Amino acid sequence: MNCQNVIPVLSAYQDGELDPALAKEVGLHLRDCAACRGEWEDLQELGRRLRLPPPASDPFFPTRVMAGLRPLPAGRHRLLQAASYALIFLMIFLAGFLLQTSTNGLAKAERLPAATYSAVLLEPQGLGLMAVHEDTLSLFERERP
Amino acid sequence: MEMDDPKLSDDEVVTAVLNGRSQDYEILVRRYSGKLIHFVTRMTADPDEARSIAQEAFLKIFQNLPYYRRENNFSAFIFKVAKNMTLNWLNRQKRTVFFSRLLGRELNQAPFRQDLPRLSPQDRSEREKLVTSSLRRLPEEQRLALVLKVYLEFSYKQIGEVTGWSVPKIETLISRAKGRLKKTILLQESGGESVYHARKK
Repeated sequence: MNCQNVIPVLSAYQDGELDPALAKEVGLHLRDCAACRGEWEDLQELGRRLRLPPPASDPFFPTRVMAGLRPLPAGRHRLLQAASYALIFLMIFLAGFLLQTSTNGLAKAERLPAATYSAVLLEPQGLGLMAVHEDTLSLFERERP
Repeated sequence: MEMDDPKLSDDEVVTAVLNGRSQDYEILVRRYSGKLIHFVTRMTADPDEARSIAQEAFLKIFQNLPYYRRENNFSAFIFKVAKNMTLNWLNRQKRTVFFSRLLGRELNQAPFRQDLPRLSPQDRSEREKLVTSSLRRLPEEQRLALVLKVYLEFSYKQIGEVTGWSVPKIETLISRAKGRLKKTILLQESGGESVYHARKK
């Protein structure tokens, strides 16, 4: 191993992250090469100087955290939430279906183009985003006098 | 359950909390608060702000417990949340400074002001000042990788779990960070007569 291979891996060697075989080679090189040993000693010195004590502990910290906790949504609440999304979806779908059927029944002579779909998208967390197929919209337009 | 029973794994405590024993969350807070505050302090260079960020992080972690996957790696989960909150705070600081400079005002925000924030008496040493200011000048990714390695003694693999980076990238970041710090800390601390400097002659 030569210096060009050793210098780039010295940091990982210091952190104990080198493959054992490679680490052994680096160790042997450092024993024989004064220039690389100098770099290694600098790294070791830096490691010593970087060491700082942790900030002073705050005995009230856990109490403050615990005081700020809001209750977690219980498992049953999560189930109810999912059920309510499903119910809303079903209601919108049924409304679209009924609307289509009634329109077809009223205007036999002038058959309106059948509405194909009403697509409803419900975001998982915020209720609301609804996309209605343009055929469904056109039914409303046709019904106006 | 006793406060910080070492026999209980993190995942066992999480299960207890999710089963309605919210008070057991204090075990996890006590177990990790020291490391978490240390991490955020070294990242922000502001001990007061670090406590506030760490507190917010613990509250957020609690709310996200139902989404935690039990892989016996709660440590990576909480440090990921803390890392994101710390980087958001640092970005907000940068934006504030940018806009205030735009308005021609001088700011006295922690990561940019010349003097260090209020430190506890034991932190007032010259060496700590030098190390803190040198860390603060490192690029964010280098600082994050180095702080996780040096102050939390994470392996490169654990750092990868927190940051999502590959091991070679982490190795490069840490090596570059040490290279920069060698120039600043070793040179300055020894008043120009550093080991580093002497060897370069």
